[in-house]
This record gives sequence, C-alpha cells and structure tokens, in this order.
Amino acid sequence: MVTDPGLAAEEIAAGGVAEDQHPSLGGDNPAPAGRWGHRHLLDVDVLSAEELDLVMRTAEGMAEVLARPIPKVPALRGWGLTNLFYEASTRTRVSFEVAAKNLSADVVNVTASASSVTKGESLVDTIRTIEALGARILVIRHAVSGALYLAAQTFGGSVVNAGDGWHAHPTQALLDLYTMRSRLGGSVAGRKIVILGDVLHSRVARSNLWSLTAAGADVWVCGPATLLRGFEAWAAAGVGGSRRFTVTSDVGAALRDADVVMALRIQRERMASGLLPSLREYGARFGLTRERLDAAKPGALVMHPGPMNEGVEIAPDVAAGSQSVITDQVANGVAVRMAVLYLLAGARE
Amino acid sequence: MTIDVAARSSVGARLADLEISRAWLVDPASGREGPGELVVEDGVLVAVTWLEGAEADGIDASGVVVAPGFIDLHAHLREPGNEDAETVATGLAAAAHGGFTTVCAMPNTTPALDEPSVLARVREAAAASGSPVKLLAYGAVSAGRAGEQLAALGELADAGVVGFSDDGAPVRSATLFRNALAYAGMLGLPIVDHPEDPTLTEGAEANDGLIATVLGLRGWPAAAETGSVARDLAILDDVLRDVPGARLHLTHLSTAASLDLVRGAKAAGLPVTCDVTPHHLALTEEWLAGARRWSWEALGDDGAARDPWRDGVIAAVPFDPAVRVNPPLRSAVDAGACLAALADGTADAIATDHAPHTEVDKAVEFGQAASGISGIETAIGVILAAVDASRLPLARAIEALTTGPARVLGERSPGGPQPRGLVEGQPADLVVFDRSAMWRVTAGALASKGKNSPLLGRDLAARVLLTVAGGRIAYEAPDA
Repeated sequence: MVTDPGLAAEEIAAGGVAEDQHPSLGGDNPAPAGRWGHRHLLDVDVLSAEELDLVMRTAEGMAEVLARPIPKVPALRGWGLTNLFYEASTRTRVSFEVAAKNLSADVVNVTASASSVTKGESLVDTIRTIEALGARILVIRHAVSGALYLAAQTFGGSVVNAGDGWHAHPTQALLDLYTMRSRLGGSVAGRKIVILGDVLHSRVARSNLWSLTAAGADVWVCGPATLLRGFEAWAAAGVGGSRRFTVTSDVGAALRDADVVMALRIQRERMASGLLPSLREYGARFGLTRERLDAAKPGALVMHPGPMNEGVEIAPDVAAGSQSVITDQVANGVAVRMAVLYLLAGARE
Repeated sequence: MTIDVAARSSVGARLADLEISRAWLVDPASGREGPGELVVEDGVLVAVTWLEGAEADGIDASGVVVAPGFIDLHAHLREPGNEDAETVATGLAAAAHGGFTTVCAMPNTTPALDEPSVLARVREAAAASGSPVKLLAYGAVSAGRAGEQLAALGELADAGVVGFSDDGAPVRSATLFRNALAYAGMLGLPIVDHPEDPTLTEGAEANDGLIATVLGLRGWPAAAETGSVARDLAILDDVLRDVPGARLHLTHLSTAASLDLVRGAKAAGLPVTCDVTPHHLALTEEWLAGARRWSWEALGDDGAARDPWRDGVIAAVPFDPAVRVNPPLRSAVDAGACLAALADGTADAIATDHAPHTEVDKAVEFGQAASGISGIETAIGVILAAVDASRLPLARAIEALTTGPARVLGERSPGGPQPRGLVEGQPADLVVFDRSAMWRVTAGALASKGKNSPLLGRDLAARVLLTVAGGRIAYEAPDA
C-alpha cells in the first residue's frame, strides 16, 4: 500500500539530522524499539507481526512517559498535526490531541461536516489547504471507506487513519491489542478472542481481524446473520489469504472458554434498514450479560470500543464490572497513539 | 506487411489510395480469416485478395490485422449537458482511436434524448465534428428517463433512433417495462435494458463478495442483476403473445447467473440478445483492493477466484475511483463467465459502456465517485489481451465487435443486419491494428476527455494504426 521506506527511527537516533528537523530522541525521549518503514498508517493490514510488536514496545515506552509527573516529551516539537474529522468523535479525537500534545506537537482541530463535501469543497482541496497551513501529520476520520487512501495520495506528510467508513480503524486495533497483551501476560497467541455484535458495519472489527490474527489469536466473530454478511467467505479464505477465524451466530459457542469478549456498538439505523427487529430483541439474544459472560474463562476480559449503549449490546454491570478493561482501553489509546505518531515522524525524517 | 497511404490526409478526408499488403484479414461477414491484401481507391474497397500457398508464408495473426470497422452498442458521449466530460466530437475521435466506425450513443444526456429535437442536436454536433464515424442513438424509454411515462417512442423511431434505453436508471416499474417492450416491438425496435434491481443496490459500492467484505464497501449483489434479467425475460415472454416483433437487448451483463438465464432463454427461442464489456471480462473486483492482474490470472485451477492477499499481488493503491463502475467489477468467476458467453454465442456483442467523467467527479472518495470507465480506446487492447491468453478466439472477438452488434441493431445497422465486411465495391469501413505493437495508456494518449481509465500507465497490445469509416479517414496513427 502507500508506504515509504524512509529512515528508521534508530538511524535518526544515531545522529546526523539537526535537532530542529526531527523528533529529538535524546534526553527525556524513550529509545526507539526497532525499525519502522511506513510513512502513513492507513490500516493495520500492512503491518507484520514484528511491526505490531514494535508498536507495542514503543507504546510501553510511552506508557512510562505517561507515568512521569510531567508526562511530556519534546519528540514532535515544531511539528504541526491537524485532526480532520468528518464524523463526530469524542474519544478518538481527544486521544489523538492529548497524544500529540504529550509529544509537544502543535495541534489544530478541524471538524468538517460531511455536508461541506456537497457544498463543493472536495477532500482533496481541504487537504491541500491544511498542508499549505503547515501540517506535517494529518489525522483523519471519514465516513467513506477508503477515503484515507485518496488523502494519502494528496498530502505531502503523513496520514493517520482515525476511522474510515466500515473499512479500518488501525489505532483502535492497536490499542485493543496493547490492552489485551498487557492483561494476558504479554501475548495474545492462542487466546480465544470474541468480537460480538455489528461486525458488518464495523471498522473496529475489520482492523482487529488483521492485527489479532497476525498476532496469532484464535479470533471469533459473532452476531446476527444480517450483520455478518460476507464474513463466512472471508473466514474461509482467511485474513491475508491464510489466517483463519471463526464466524457464528451462536453466542454460547462463541463465548465458551473465551479469553476476551469485545462487544460492538449497535446503531439505531440498523432497525430502519431492516437488519434487526428491535434493540430489545438484539439485547436479549446478543447482549453481553453477566450470565453469558459466565461461559467465558474466569476473569475473561470485557472490552468495548465505545461509545456504549448500556443495556443493549452490553449490560451495565458487565461494563462496570471487575472484568471490564474499557477504561484501560481509553487510557492505553493515548500511549499507543503517541507511539504511532512517534514512529511515523521518525520514518518521515 | 506494408501500408501505403498515397497522401497523408486529415480526419474526415476521403481516403484517396491505400494498399495493405501481407496482413492478416479477418472478415466475420464471410466467415473467413487469413493472409491477404487489400486496395482502397477513392474511398472504395476495390480489391480484397486472399493469399494462398507460398504467397502466404510468414503471415500470421500475431502482426497487423485488418478487420471491418467496429460497432459499439453502448457509449456515453455526454452531449448535450455534460460537455466537460465529453463532447460528440471528442467521443467520436476516441471511438476512431479505438477502431470503432459506428457508435450507439446512450440517451442519458441533459436534457435526455426523449424526443426528436435532442437527436437533431446530437446529429448536428456529429456533422460539425467532421468525423466520419457513424453516430447512432438510442431514445429514452421514459420521458425524462423518470420511469413514469413512455417517451415519444414513435416520433423517435421516425427520426431514426436504433432502440430505446433508460440506461443508468433501469425501468423500475415492471408494467412500464412491459408496455415499452410491446410499443417498441410494434415499431420494430429493441428495448436495451440495463438490468439492475435498485432496491438491492441502494448505496452499493462494490460487488458483494470477498473484496467488499474485506474493504468495508457496501455490497452490490449479483442477485440485483440476475433478478432483473429474470424479470425482463419473463415479461418478454409475456409480451410476445401479442407482439411477435418485440425484442430485448440486455446490456453489460456481468454475472455468471444472468448469462446462464440468457443462455436458457435463447435456447427456448426468445428474441433476446446481450452484450458484455471489456472491463467485465478482463478486470475483477480485486482491482479495488489494488490488484492489477487480468481476470484469467485471478482464476484458480479449481475454478474459484484466487485471493489477491494470499498471492501477494496488491500492486496499486486500493480504492481507486477509476474502477468504480456500474455494474461493479465482479469476481474472476463472473469474468470467466463473460468470456465463456462470448465464446459460445450467448453474448452477441462486446460493448464498451464508454463512460467518460471529469476529474471533479472522479478524484473524490471511492464511494462518492461517479460510476464509469472511459473505455472505448482501450477496448481492443483489453480484448486482445484475452485473445493472447487463449481465452477467446480472435475471429470470435472480431465477430463480437462487428457482425454481432450489427445483428442486434438489425435493419438500422449502417450496412443492414449483415455489415459490409471486407466486400469489394463498397466504401471502405475498416480498422488496421498491430498486435505486436504496444502502446502506453496515458491521459495524453486518450482522445476522450474522460481520463478515468484504470489502465492508465499500462502497456496494451493491438495498437490501432488506421481507422477508415465510410471511405473516409477516421483515425491514423501519427507514425503509421
């Protein structure tokens, strides 16, 4: 996909580039943990198991930074970062903003309503404008699958996907992996991980399928048949053409002995389009309740990418229960996004 | 082989003198192909000589080929109303560059070609262009292509349209479709239907298969086409009781199942014809993911589509708006079915569905990009790639570009239902292309205003050297 061999962060660390032109890696900054060659982060599909590991280890370094009294390093000092969000978002946008500010980047937030597209300003024009205003990293969320690839072809700097249509949400998948690894002894290999809910419309599910199968997990996706359309065929072909996963509408079979259960948000428009009879029926058949969770392994992790419909896809007592790592996901999101921005900036210089 | 044009002349000029010696002639009208020579004098094909024995030594089908001029049953010339995307003049120039000497323009212009004055305007533009390429036109089925009332079918027939189509806005009402088939049948003209059940394709972006699932694109099910074809055939069968002259032509069929339905209907004797496009037979849904191999390279030995990720063939940036088209690029299995349908005669013709668009309409997010491929100039190169890969016999490919579409047009085809072919004493109407010469598809190399080709940057074989329409020069390669 769109990649740029660039330079490894460690090569930059070895010196030779003036400090004001690159993330200064000495002093308070964590040491880079390996080679990173991507100019953009558009999806996790291009990341190998080794590259996933690099992001994880870099994020661990960022978590140490976050634990300091003053959780701030100068890595991206002088770098302009623009958050361009065509869809509403609170946690992802704020998470990127906090991550960028912790790295000392200069952050600009642009909320573009989808209607501005129909008013005549194209995505390409908007991106050219933002680039002319000095941004070197562009974080975009867009409602249309694949829009980020157009952005990456237009923008001279690095593009980070903060969610595009049903296609991909790579930093969410990375923070999910980070959260699971940190709670499961450093690896998800061989662990049974269940993604439960509206898989069809979920960019979180798709990106997690790439990263979790690459990391060796036993991935299951579960939901009503109308929200799993096409996934049996993908499972049979395998992610990346080889990495199998399991598809089922049988919640009991999916949750049995699971190590992790990730519930996905159900949107009300699914009823209007005839995919589901009612939210009530969804909750009764597919909601993550205490009783259902008891079929999973003792202490199985409960996750949700947010925002939640408590009482629909997840029961309030489960969301707030001792097995829930949902707030961990939010906190880890900052460390993981710091790692991504840091690695991208390193590859750019 | 030598081509000897007496004097270089400009497009539209009568071809004074032309001698082509030692080429491979393909003449579907007579069913003959082989080594030969031909002579044109004052625009008239005066001699066609088939070489035999020692004279034919060293001439084969892999070099220069001469065939009757191609007929395109399906092109969008955009004039009037969207001249930024194409005009009649640029569209005809593009057709000539692709070897086409007859083009059937679709009526989805602005205003729609639903009454004779719009046809007159299009014909004026064709005359003003100076191009000798024959412009034919379909009239709309419904007034304003709105699918509510019949357009001025009788007046349009009198004015010379070759059929009726609401292409791009498939006739949703089965009753209106039934009435249109009957009325057009009374007039002796076909209904050209774009089969699509719009209730299954609302917001759809990509063939509903593995690629759409992985990329998170809204699925466009094959059933939307298959169901619509089944409806059309059932209605045709019904209409024939009262109107034996009713005829149905299904355009740009793209699924194995809908081609099977047509195969069955033809076997049952229904008066139905159909065409397939170069892109649906050679390109597949995996191009959306960034793969760039031909459909036959994407088909496994087991007859199933191969996985582009497993094969490691993702070569281009995914979500290229140039591959957004209606109907969508399908699976390698469906593309193989299009080739098989051509080979066994189920598909009567290859039509380009040339759909030029402006950059403003195409250089946008995939799901918001206009549907369509600018394809009239790359058609022969794409088809010859299939021929080169032994997926289609050369003679059958040429037939599907000449006699096949002529039969679909029937009496209103330029030479009648049997096209002129390479016949002595007739005005020359032919294309000369070199299968051994590659050309690179670039924006600058395309005569069309529509640069929306997924083949940009690719080298294609079968470079067109000369196109002669009605005895006049339509296209001549700069260095031919």
